[in-house]
Amino acid sequence: MPKILIVDDEEGIRMLYSMELQDEGYEVITLPDGQGLLEEVEKQRPDCIILDIKMRDYNGLDLLQEIRKKHYDMPVILNSAYSSFKIDLKAVAADYYVVKSSDLGELKDKLKVALETKIPEQ
Amino acid sequence: MKAVEDNPGGISKAEIVVGIPSYNEALSISFPTQQADKGLTKYYGERSAVIINCDNHSDDNTRQAFMDTPTKTPKIYLSTDNGIKGKGNNLKNLFAKVIELSAKAVIVVDADLKSITPLWIRDLGNPLFDSYDFVAPLYVRHKYDGTLTTNLAYPLTRALYGRRVRQPINGDYGFSGNLAGIYTESDIWSETAANFGIDIWMTTLAMRRRVSVIQSFMGKPKIHKPKDQIEGMLNVVRDVVETIFQLMVRFDSFWKDVKWSRPTAVYGVSLGDLELPPPVEFDVRILSDRFLSGLHAHTDIYNAILDRQNMNKLEEAAELPASGFEFPTGLWAKVVYDFAIAYKRNLLPTDQLIDVLLPLFYGKTWSFILETQPMNTQQVEEFIEDQCLQFEKAKPYLVERWFSG
Repeated sequence: MPKILIVDDEEGIRMLYSMELQDEGYEVITLPDGQGLLEEVEKQRPDCIILDIKMRDYNGLDLLQEIRKKHYDMPVILNSAYSSFKIDLKAVAADYYVVKSSDLGELKDKLKVALETKIPEQ
Repeated sequence: MKAVEDNPGGISKAEIVVGIPSYNEALSISFPTQQADKGLTKYYGERSAVIINCDNHSDDNTRQAFMDTPTKTPKIYLSTDNGIKGKGNNLKNLFAKVIELSAKAVIVVDADLKSITPLWIRDLGNPLFDSYDFVAPLYVRHKYDGTLTTNLAYPLTRALYGRRVRQPINGDYGFSGNLAGIYTESDIWSETAANFGIDIWMTTLAMRRRVSVIQSFMGKPKIHKPKDQIEGMLNVVRDVVETIFQLMVRFDSFWKDVKWSRPTAVYGVSLGDLELPPPVEFDVRILSDRFLSGLHAHTDIYNAILDRQNMNKLEEAAELPASGFEFPTGLWAKVVYDFAIAYKRNLLPTDQLIDVLLPLFYGKTWSFILETQPMNTQQVEEFIEDQCLQFEKAKPYLVERWFSG
């Protein structure tokens, strides 16, 4: 069962995503912000991270840079209420960028693709 | 390969090397040499460094222009033998030299660059001291600059090798001493790699060998000697496409198992205000004429190369009114895949095969220009991302046909 880590400072979003993704058969863990994120990633080894951008004390784009330094190929989907962060070049380091919506169809589609992605070892 | 070496300082070791490949760049080479020197002095003053001009025995005094450029960093001039041309041959000389110098980091910049700053040296070099092996540049480019990259090289290499390198055929990059060793030992080489195919050859080998790749944001747009976007690009298109096809044949056991794609990390993203790139003009009438006349002239060949359904759709697109012309990317991806398969099966001599691909490439470029006309840079980037997804979605078609006899 793929393990998904949701990082979002809105409790409602964390609850909604948890329910919807668990219904799809994923194991879900959550964090309310970036505090301890790298340690949690190290400990839990999620198959994909869904990462909010604009959080109270953290910026998801900066967190993404930190994740990439240690986990070169960890799938990360940026998930924001704002589409404007797409122009930030830091977003290029994400697998996908999905704008938050009440319909989770696109997020689920991108999650599926991110989990299916495969580059063989040499 | 090296025929001439001028190493007045007797340099035998260097941690960091800036390589400047050239052919008849006497009027341009001083500027990137000076900027490289400033960058090396400012950001790598503690490390041993050298600037190497790897030349094709230019007859316009490039050697003298380079060696006479005042720099604090020592310089070496390398050249192929008289009559041996090709950027790839210059780079091959550079690979051998950096191994000899035991260099840890190598930065390559074009000799005709007008917009390079010392920061480019830092941004292409720093990731190499932070465990990355290949640094590709990320520039802000005008939406019509680099249509070969946008419509073919980027989406195709991304779909094949699964790594998103936005500028896989650019002249400016960084690579580690480790990767220089891989390049030197590679038994894959060809006439096109020895020429303009070298950039895609280097990027593809880095992706295939799964070394760590990062993209570095260059801040300023790339401005260099102007080239006609159609005629001036002909040899580049030929060499790049043929090199991609050669590598596809060689690496098919690898890319058949690649599914979708992964991003790369990005370095140097907080550089203040962006400078806008200069506009690039295209005469779309030339593109439409070449597409339509080529399609008409080579119908029999297209019928032999393209899957019947793709040929039908292509003819359908050609009947659209010029103002509403569209070459759907899903169709373009399958057309490119059909041509790669024709290359593998030797359906035509390679020169002829690429000559008949060209009108279709012009058709795709014409469609791209029409579709992106009202878009800003960000919208075009999203459009290009969508094109890449179409290549990735169509990949099972390639795999199925490629391996079916």
